[in-house]
Amino acid sequence: MSEFQIECISLSKKFTGNSQTVNAVDGINLQIRKNEVVLLKGRSGAGKSTLLNLMCGLIKPTHGKVMIDNNCINELSSNALSELLLNRIGIIFQSFNLLPTYTVYENIEIALVPRGLSRKMIKESIMSFMEQFNLKDKALLLPSELSVGQQQKVAIIRTLVKQPSIIFADEPTGSVDDLTAGEILGHLMYLKKEKQVTLVVATHGNIQEKFADRILTIENGHIIN
Amino acid sequence: MTYILKEFRRHLWRTVAGISGYMIATLFILLVLSVSRPNENDSIGILKGTGTHFIVYIPSNASCCVSCDNESSDGSLVAEGVYTLMLNSDLLTSIKEIEGVRDAAPYLLYRIFDENLKSEVSLGGIDTNSIATKNNVCTLTNLISGKYLSGNVDEIVAEESFAKAHGLRVGDTLNVYASKLKLAGIVNSGIKPGKADLYAPIENVRTILKERMKCISPGFDMNIVLVEVTDARIQNRVISQLKEKMSYLSVSSYNCYQPASEVMTIMEGTSTVLTILIFIFLIIFSAKTQLTSLMERFREIGILKSLGWSNSKLSFQILFISIIQSLTGALLGVLFGLLLILLMKNYQIRLFNLMEFQLQYNSIPVLIVLSLTGGLIASVFPIIKLYSTKAGDMINNYM
Repeated sequence: MSEFQIECISLSKKFTGNSQTVNAVDGINLQIRKNEVVLLKGRSGAGKSTLLNLMCGLIKPTHGKVMIDNNCINELSSNALSELLLNRIGIIFQSFNLLPTYTVYENIEIALVPRGLSRKMIKESIMSFMEQFNLKDKALLLPSELSVGQQQKVAIIRTLVKQPSIIFADEPTGSVDDLTAGEILGHLMYLKKEKQVTLVVATHGNIQEKFADRILTIENGHIIN
Repeated sequence: MTYILKEFRRHLWRTVAGISGYMIATLFILLVLSVSRPNENDSIGILKGTGTHFIVYIPSNASCCVSCDNESSDGSLVAEGVYTLMLNSDLLTSIKEIEGVRDAAPYLLYRIFDENLKSEVSLGGIDTNSIATKNNVCTLTNLISGKYLSGNVDEIVAEESFAKAHGLRVGDTLNVYASKLKLAGIVNSGIKPGKADLYAPIENVRTILKERMKCISPGFDMNIVLVEVTDARIQNRVISQLKEKMSYLSVSSYNCYQPASEVMTIMEGTSTVLTILIFIFLIIFSAKTQLTSLMERFREIGILKSLGWSNSKLSFQILFISIIQSLTGALLGVLFGLLLILLMKNYQIRLFNLMEFQLQYNSIPVLIVLSLTGGLIASVFPIIKLYSTKAGDMINNYM
């Protein structure tokens, strides 16, 4: 049994297009302990987002594998992977990935619907998070009717409402002002401290290093320190 | 389920486009069937009975009426200009048992040289009630003057050409076959394989010819069997079966059943091919609509997958949406079709001023099932695509 919650073993991902091949992630080996906060730093295009997508099983590696709690997620059945994404893993996307035709409430609700919880439980849970993020009065608005910062908050609530044990966050404060960024990081740190959540956060540098247990710099698909 | 219904509302135009496809296809198939089926049935009804008759006999090189007792005779049993043998009446039963035979009737055709008329005269003994007689020899509808055979012993009818040639009129008495026969009517039976100059009920002809046909034995009281088949398309098969069972028989038929059969096959085939083509078009159209819908929702579905929605749950969504659309489209198509056909019937609108629209009620359930099948097939490819693509690739559109 490995002592690590997340392990990347010789992880590579190549993208081919227009007769050009890009090694977005190139043979990365990485181990992350439970309740650890790991900051992946690097410039745009360094491979941070691809590494995050690989670690949570959203894309298939060209080579290597990802182990979560000693299970290779690349070998899981589609149902088992869905189960993992539904109950254990939370993903905060760089571009929020909110559904434009769904209201704020529905955008959050879709993260809980597959669990088969009662409407009442779902509502209570969602409203409590919306209150914490000062979005209670925005429940029936469409994402397009919110500011970018508010959209970011909705995307984060959608992840947190699932109460995952691992959160992969891609530039969670990338599009928000310092105040909102502080608020978001405060929530994430609360989760680490109180809920023993493991956090893997990709950033191009706007997150203060004091929040992290470990900082890794990525360049051209490699971890350089 | 709630999300499926919300999906319809959210993407109203996409839903409308999906439903419209099924609706137009259903409406089109319904209209095609409503115009093609009744007209096809009418045409086939006519063609089905075209040339569905033939005669059966045993040719001989000598007149059996002479050969038995070596006495001379001025007449003989004939069929199509050749001598024939007598046939046993059991043959009728055997022929009727062949699948596809609608009716078989006895026919006694005798030809003599009549001294009074100074010409050959053929007398046909017919079963006046048989459909096989109607198409092979003559019937009441062929009557052009006088009255048809009523069963009186001395009554006969004559072919128009024969009557004209000998200056005969209705009511005349003919001294032929050593009998005095009263001409009750004149017929024009057209071109028929069993045509004679004079006709009388077969029982009467047997009585008239009793003395002449010295060679007959019990049960042998006809020389031709007239056969009527149920459908021109199976005539060949019936003739083959008959020849296979009774190879000694000669079969004579006017081959007009062959073109009729070919035309019927073409007509039925055209309608079926048209329905299949529209169905294929329907499936392609709906598959395209479902796939386009999936492509438009690809990113959305990728996001749902990344949140933990299983492939089976999402597949059910795609399938259910497709089926609801196809069912709604089919029902609307049927509804509009009913209204349109009703309107056209009310205003007596005909296609090419000839073909009438007639609703085919029995095609409605078939159309609904076809549409549902289309919906089902249309969702197969999107579901395969869903299963084979990773959530991240869907979100980032790496396909």
